[in-house]
Amino acid sequence: MSLVARNALIALGITLALMGTVAYAVNYLNKARLADLSAMEDQLSIDTLALDTQFSLLENAPCESAASSTTVIEKLNDLGSRLAYAESQLGAGNPQVIRLKEQYSLLEIRDYLATKRLAAACGTRPVIVLYFYSNQGDCADCDKAGYALSYLRDTYPFVRVYSFDYNLDLSALQTLIALNRVKHELPAFIISGRKSYGFTTLAELEKRFPKGALATTTPQ
Amino acid sequence: MSPETLAYPFLFLAVFFEAFVLVTFLSKPAKIARARRKSAVLPSVAVIVPCYNEASTVAGTAESLLALDYPKDKLEIILVDDGSTDATPAAMAKFEGHSQVRILRKENGGKHTALNAAIQMTNAEIIGCLDADSFVEPDALKEIVPCFEDPKVAAVTAAMSVHKPDNVLRQMQNAEYIFGITLRHALASVNGLYVTPGPFSFYRHSILDKVGAFRFGHQTEDMEMALRLQKKGYKIDNAPYARVYTKAPATVGSLIRQRTRWTTGFIRNVLGEYRGLVGNPDYGALGMLVLPIGITAIASGIMLFSVSVFDLVRHATQAVSMRAGVPLSYSLAPHASFDWFYFPASFYLLLAALTISATLTLIVIGKRLSKTPGNLFLGLVSYVFLYGFIAPLWLLRAAGDAMFRRNRAWR
Repeated sequence: MSLVARNALIALGITLALMGTVAYAVNYLNKARLADLSAMEDQLSIDTLALDTQFSLLENAPCESAASSTTVIEKLNDLGSRLAYAESQLGAGNPQVIRLKEQYSLLEIRDYLATKRLAAACGTRPVIVLYFYSNQGDCADCDKAGYALSYLRDTYPFVRVYSFDYNLDLSALQTLIALNRVKHELPAFIISGRKSYGFTTLAELEKRFPKGALATTTPQ
Repeated sequence: MSPETLAYPFLFLAVFFEAFVLVTFLSKPAKIARARRKSAVLPSVAVIVPCYNEASTVAGTAESLLALDYPKDKLEIILVDDGSTDATPAAMAKFEGHSQVRILRKENGGKHTALNAAIQMTNAEIIGCLDADSFVEPDALKEIVPCFEDPKVAAVTAAMSVHKPDNVLRQMQNAEYIFGITLRHALASVNGLYVTPGPFSFYRHSILDKVGAFRFGHQTEDMEMALRLQKKGYKIDNAPYARVYTKAPATVGSLIRQRTRWTTGFIRNVLGEYRGLVGNPDYGALGMLVLPIGITAIASGIMLFSVSVFDLVRHATQAVSMRAGVPLSYSLAPHASFDWFYFPASFYLLLAALTISATLTLIVIGKRLSKTPGNLFLGLVSYVFLYGFIAPLWLLRAAGDAMFRRNRAWR
């Protein structure tokens, strides 16, 4: 075998080994991401359960658990961002991503219910947004709507946004959809109990909020 | 299929080629070349300096040649004024009467005619060429000469870097030239060179007589001559310790003009008269790897650039349409945290990072091998961040020129 052929074969071997290493590294990192998400969800699950338990224990003074509720929504938001990133990297059809999304949606529903109970008990009026989207190509404005809601959530700390994949095959979510009679016209919103569909601009979306809801101070 | 997928074969090829260069660098023939000792017997040498409007640099070039550590009775310098219209004749005049220097003035006819006219004037065994904007280290010629001890060697190239890289663009080119030092050294050990550059390449006179004079060669007479020597079955060697410094273009425009000429010359020579060498196993590494990869590199440069521009435009359009009234201050503020979770480790990005790392490694090897002076840090940074944006411009221009048979002036 000539020197050139020998060197070319060695180079090919090195190239394939490097490619394999890169593929392994990408796969390893993606798995680590999923493991991280899973660990976060476990922790969040405990936090939500703790909130429920705290709520039950303080039945006579339920408002004491409000601080814990704020921590949970912050964690939920962080988890949502991470899950969206993982979904963009691994694809919406990835079975692990779907499983994590289901868990995430359950946690969101539980936190939504806890927030409602707290609001009723403590007489507060949090601005709650239920947002239904789809990433199956049947919602042209969902990305824009999601971005506008992120802005509102980051700008107004008392706006609590719960995002749900409309097509997710999860019984609790489908019950929530059925109870609120949300039609398959996405994006769909339930803002402080009022249902609306479609998205054009941020300004138009802001008009759907109750008067005074978009304030940077605590709503009374 | 994402546009990035189109880039995978080219990135694979780039990594493969760099791995081949590294393996060849570590192979026995390259090691032997690096250990080569200086010759005890020194042949007669003539160095030709073809000039066209080089008034500002020709004196410095000639002086660096006169400072070469080589017996004076065996070294002659031929300054050729190829019909300059500036003060080049006056700059040359100060060397008139020097025992080692001969001056030839002729009508303008192009670099190849200047070289041929000077070759006719000398009986030296070895003939060198040095562009009038280049300068050599005193020991450079003594590093070149031992390569000719192999009778099959028809030409020898030197280790080029940029003379006084005083701006970012020249720093970038310096890194690229030093990358070329590693490439030339490794590829020469498997006779894979396809160009004998103007700055300090040497030829065996007897072989030049056999293969014929320099030709226009689509404005790349050095490439045409190298390909002709390869086609005739000769070897082109490299002397990695023979340092030569050349002035590089200082502006993007002049760099693009220079590289368009080189790239168009490569396309026209390789796909024209020397098409028979491409993919031909008789020509070993040159035919099976270097030339095919050289052609593919032009296509890949254009492809990777197009993919990047496409992605950039797509993301920018997406970002603009996503805003939908969200304040710009929010859109421009960084939202992602410095968390490993968000590290964008896609196959494409990691592969690109691997290719760049391999290139940087080969540049560092080239600098250490040739002991080229100067700090390379800015060169490496500018090479990584600028080269990928500028190179596609001359590749596109050259591909267009070759496709539409467009000819441009030398400068």
